[in-house]
Amino acid sequence: MVQKHFTIKNAQGFHMRPATNFATAMAAHPCTVTIKFNGRDVNAKSPMFIMAACIKVGSEIDVVCDGEGENEALAAAAAMIESGFGE
Amino acid sequence: MFKGTPVSDGIGIGKILLLEEASLSYTPHSVSDPKAEVERFRRAIDALTDQTKRDAASLRQTAGEKEALIMEGHISLINDPALKGETENLIMGGQCAEAAYESMCDMFIGIFSSMEDEMMRQRAADVRDIKSGLLRILLGVKEVRVSDAPKGTVILTRELTPSVTAGIKKGNIVGIITETGGKTSHSAILARALEIPAVLSVPNAVSIFKNGQPVIVDGSTGIVIPDPTFDELNEYTEKRAHFIKEREELNRFRGLKTVGADGAEYELVCNIGKPDDAAKVIEFDGEGVGLFRTEFLFMDRSAVPSEDEQFAAYQKAALILKGKPLIIRTLDIGGDKEIPYMGLEKEDNPFMGFRAVRYCLKNKELFRKQLRAMIRASAFGDIRIMFPLITCVEELREGKAMIEDIKKELTILGIPFNKDLKVGIMVETAAAAMIADVLAKECDFFSIGTNDLTGYTMSCDRGNANVAYLYSALQPAVLRMIERTIRCGREAGIPVGMCGEAAADPRLIPLLISFGLTEFSVSAPSVLRVRKCISKWSKAEADKAAEKAMRLTTKKEVEEYLAGLA
Repeated sequence: MVQKHFTIKNAQGFHMRPATNFATAMAAHPCTVTIKFNGRDVNAKSPMFIMAACIKVGSEIDVVCDGEGENEALAAAAAMIESGFGE
Repeated sequence: MFKGTPVSDGIGIGKILLLEEASLSYTPHSVSDPKAEVERFRRAIDALTDQTKRDAASLRQTAGEKEALIMEGHISLINDPALKGETENLIMGGQCAEAAYESMCDMFIGIFSSMEDEMMRQRAADVRDIKSGLLRILLGVKEVRVSDAPKGTVILTRELTPSVTAGIKKGNIVGIITETGGKTSHSAILARALEIPAVLSVPNAVSIFKNGQPVIVDGSTGIVIPDPTFDELNEYTEKRAHFIKEREELNRFRGLKTVGADGAEYELVCNIGKPDDAAKVIEFDGEGVGLFRTEFLFMDRSAVPSEDEQFAAYQKAALILKGKPLIIRTLDIGGDKEIPYMGLEKEDNPFMGFRAVRYCLKNKELFRKQLRAMIRASAFGDIRIMFPLITCVEELREGKAMIEDIKKELTILGIPFNKDLKVGIMVETAAAAMIADVLAKECDFFSIGTNDLTGYTMSCDRGNANVAYLYSALQPAVLRMIERTIRCGREAGIPVGMCGEAAADPRLIPLLISFGLTEFSVSAPSVLRVRKCISKWSKAEADKAAEKAMRLTTKKEVEEYLAGLA
C-alpha cells in the first residue's frame, strides 16, 4: 500500500472535468485507489463519488493506492493533482 | 406579457414547441431472476452511452468543443463504476433495475443539490438528465426529439437538459423558455454558446403557454409575449434586425485589446458580485475585475463569515482570473440592509450614516478578518484592495495602517502574500472628489463610483420619483466632480478607473477619455459594446467634445450635445 498527501490547487477543486479525468485515469490501474478526505474514504475511480465528496481548492487529501501497480497509480495521481489538472 | 430571467441576448419570434416530460412512472417490483435484470440494466447503460455519444457529436457541430466536452462528461457519469456497481448490488438484492438506478441517482441528486457551490449544484441537473435517459430506455418511452422541430420553433420546457440542447438545430430553434434555471445555469451557458435568445425561470410557463402558440421571446429583457399583436410583431421584428446587426459588429471586437482611434490603450474590466462571476468575465472577454463587491459573503447568514471562508472566495476569483487584475472592495454595508448579527441600527438616513468603511473602522475585528483574507489571497493573483465611502484622509490612513500590520504579521508567520499589494479608494462622495489631490498622494489608485457620487453630489435619491429627474451623471455638477477626480489622480501619477454605470454610457465615454480615465469597469455583457465605443474616439477628438460639453450649463444641453455625438 502506498499513500501521499496533497493540497488541492486548482480554483474549482474536484468539479466535473477534473473528477471525470481523474477517475478515468485511475480506472486504468488494477489496484484500488482511495481518496481520504474529511475522515471519509472515497472511491477514486468514481467521478460521482469524487464530486459528491465536495473537495475544494485548499482541501487536504490523501491518495491511497493498494494492489497491483500501486506505485504507477500513485505517480499518475500525483502528476494530475500537482499540475492542478492542467487548469 | 410575462417576465423571467434573461440569460441569452436577442429576440426570438416563433411558435411554441412544448417539450413535456414523458411519464416515466413504473411500479417498483421485485425480480425473480436478478442476473437477467442486471443484464437488462447493462444493455440500457450501453444504449444510453451510444445515444449520448451521438448527442455529443451533434453538440460539437452546433455549440462547439467546450459544450461537447460537457456532454462527454455525461458518458463518464453514466459509466461510473461505483454507480453501476452499487445499482447492480441493489438489483442482486431483488430490486428492479428502474428502482435500483433511481434510488442511486436520487441520492446523488440530493447531495449535489445541497452543495454551496453553484457549479456543483448544476451537477444535480446532469444526474437528473441521465436518470431520465436511462429510465426512458428501460421503460421503452420514446423521446420527443428537438432535432425534428421545424424552422421558427421556440422551445418551452421545465428545465433545459443537456440532452435536449444537444438536439437543437441552430437554424430552427429561435428561442428558449424554461421554468427553472438562472444566469449561470448550464442551460444559460448553452443558450449563449448557441446564440439563441433565452428567458429562464418564467413561473408556471409550462402550464400557461400552449403548444403551437405564437410567441415573442426577448432574451435581453426577459420579456415573453404570447399571442403578440400586429404592432408588437412589427416592433420586435425591427428590434431583432437591429440586434443581429449589432451582434455581428460587436463580435469583431472579441479578443482584441481596448484601444482608442489613435491607438491609446485602456483597461476594460468588469464589476462582479460573486467569485463564480469571474468565469463570466472570461466568457464575455473582460480584461479583469475593477470591482468585486463582497457583500454577498455577509448576507443571508447568522454570523460573520470566517477569515478562511472569505479567503476561499477571494482566492477562487483570483485563480479563475489567472493573473488578470482583481480589485476587491471591502465591505460596503449600512443601516439600509438587515443583517442582524452586525448590530446595525435602523437609521433615519442610512446613506449618510454608519456604513461601509466607517462601520468597518469601528468594528476592527470584523474588518481585520476581511483584510487578512484579501491579503492572503493576494498570493494567488493580481489582487488589489479598495476602500468604499472615503470622505477624509484619516480613514484611508487608518485602513492602510491595518493592512501594514497584517502584512508584518504574515511575514513573521511565513504566510505568502503579494508584497506590492496596491491599495486604492472609491471616489464616490463629494468630499473625496474635493480632496482628491490630497487622497491621490496617499493611495495607489482611484475608482470613481458614479452611482453614489451622483446621488451624493446632487443630494438626491434616485428611488424617489419626485426628485429622480435630478439624478444623472451628465449633470454639470457631477461632470466637474469626475473631471476633478481624474485630473488629481493624473497629476499624482496614479491610475483612475470608473466602476459605476456611467463607465458604459456611450455619451460619457468621450469625456472620460478626454479627462484621462485609464480603466473602465462595466457589467460583463457590456464589454464588447464599450470596447467598440472607445475604439471610435481619439484623444484629440474627445478633447474637442469635452471642451464643448464642459461649457454647457444644464443637464439637458449636455445630454443633447453628447447624444448627438454618440
